[in-house]
Amino acid sequence: MDTTLSYTPFDHTADLGIIVTGTDLEDLFRKAAQSIIEIMFRKNSVKGTESLKISLDGEDLADLMVRWLGEILYLFDAEQKIVSGIKIFKVSRTHLEAALTVAVFQPDHHVILNEIKAVTYHQIEVTQKPEGWIARVIFDL
Amino acid sequence: MTSTANTQLIKLDEYRWLLPKNGPMRVPGLIFSNEALIKTLQEDQSLVQVANVASLPGIVGHSLAMPDIHWGYGFPIGGVAAFDFDEGIVSPGGVGYDINCGCRLMTTQLQADEIRPRIRDLVAALFRSIPSGVGTSGPVNLSKQEEARVAVQGAAWAVKSGFGDREDLSRTEDSGCMEGADPSVLSQRAIQRGQKQLGTLGSGNHFLEIQVVDQIYDREKAGAFGLVEGRITVLIHSGSRGFGHQICDDFLKEMTSHHMKGALSFSLPDRQLACAPLRSDLAKRYLAGMACAANYAWANRQVLMHLTRETLLSALEITPRELGMKLLYDVCHNIAKKEKHLVDGQEHLLCVHRKGATRALPPMHPLLPEIYRQTGQPVLIPGDMGRYSYVLSGSEGAMRESFGSSCHGAGRILSRTQAIKKAKGRAIYRELEDKGIFVQSRGRQTLKEEMPDAYKDVTQVIEAVHGAGLARKVARLKPLGVIKG
Repeated sequence: MDTTLSYTPFDHTADLGIIVTGTDLEDLFRKAAQSIIEIMFRKNSVKGTESLKISLDGEDLADLMVRWLGEILYLFDAEQKIVSGIKIFKVSRTHLEAALTVAVFQPDHHVILNEIKAVTYHQIEVTQKPEGWIARVIFDL
Repeated sequence: MTSTANTQLIKLDEYRWLLPKNGPMRVPGLIFSNEALIKTLQEDQSLVQVANVASLPGIVGHSLAMPDIHWGYGFPIGGVAAFDFDEGIVSPGGVGYDINCGCRLMTTQLQADEIRPRIRDLVAALFRSIPSGVGTSGPVNLSKQEEARVAVQGAAWAVKSGFGDREDLSRTEDSGCMEGADPSVLSQRAIQRGQKQLGTLGSGNHFLEIQVVDQIYDREKAGAFGLVEGRITVLIHSGSRGFGHQICDDFLKEMTSHHMKGALSFSLPDRQLACAPLRSDLAKRYLAGMACAANYAWANRQVLMHLTRETLLSALEITPRELGMKLLYDVCHNIAKKEKHLVDGQEHLLCVHRKGATRALPPMHPLLPEIYRQTGQPVLIPGDMGRYSYVLSGSEGAMRESFGSSCHGAGRILSRTQAIKKAKGRAIYRELEDKGIFVQSRGRQTLKEEMPDAYKDVTQVIEAVHGAGLARKVARLKPLGVIKG
């Protein structure tokens, strides 16, 4: 296993699954966002200059996770913006507030590793265990 | 949340396995397969997914799986399920994110012997001219008004805009236009994502392949399809791009919210199976949005075909007559459709979900264009890039047993991480070149993830479909050059 990654991948025949752990909800959501960026792009030194405020509502933590990761996908696919910094201000069971620093996609500096079509609800889990918070997410590639 | 159903199969004959109705299943499951392929099913969760789909309200007949079935998200990939319009549901997850992902096959007058020596240059020219991979824009930048026209008119919009001929439309499933598309149901996000992506191939398993007609199984039908041994064909596999992904995502979220607020009277075995009763306003809005994406995908493949034609003409410095490129057919394999089928001897209006399955209409079916009335619908089945693709024709068996459906491809056997592990230390490009197949791909990992070993042998899948009588073999196509995102 690559210990430099923010997630542990698990096998899914058609797609890609990840397990992310966090000390608290803020840490879990930050690491999950970091994971999707690591899956999509090779590590780079491009620093973003634009800051975006994110405020999201979900039906529960799992729904909130799908919506949160979906925001990062959308920023890239629709606006060609790549997240380079993540600050989570607060996460409750149904609400998240965060700020993202984004850089505009530069083909000469950003190496794309994988296209993720979507964050799925398939077997989605966000649960609290004695060792901390755990999220299990499957992406459609 | 997983199904509590038992997934023990009963073998019915050489090509059919029954998953008996048990637990929450409302109907039995039926898997079309063969001895070699059925073994691979025990290794993933696709049978649980067949059982999960069987538990959805209003499902009619069987929860079906084609021989290329593998573990998807929600529905299995290779799954077919039909729902009654009064009692049943529609599920965006049962169509997938890539709404109207599909295949388009073109025939040409080019001889493979003339093309082989130039294949490397041709692949490079196509790779330059056809936008592929993530973060690329297409040749058309749509205004919002123009995008709405694409969403309503489909392939006809592309033809009117100079990307192809009117004749292409009759050689496209549903003439390249699904009725009922209504852009007013779309989110601003969907509209924004669609504006720049028309005429782009995408990445992952999407591709454009230059092939040679390698073997003919049915001379008469191959002749009617314009397939001649030794001639070049071009196969395009792409879909509705970010536009479709966003439409699926938007409605899946809305249906999930409805479900969690207790709007449905049944429990879901998997949240990805979120759905809405077909009679509801939400279902009607989803179907109107899904039709927009279906039409966008048909326009997309029409534009991609035009780009291919232009590139081949200029790279080979030949006339359109010498190239002789003709659309053979265009089929979708991720879709939900309103169709009439016989159930217990009576005609019913059903919503047929095909998640990784291809429509396969038999000869004389009223929905077929005149040119294919005698042959049955061309069924296009891509394999992996190192082996073969197949052209089949629809047959009566599909109407009797699978709501007019057949398989859609080889079906993955290795996960992407397993494939990358297996490819370690190997030069996949070189291995393919040694077989006479030249590949250019944009994504750094795409080629490893998509290498031939990652897929079931499509020939086995075709044998099972042919043997079960869902579709009949017409011709085999062998890849010479591939571009991938």
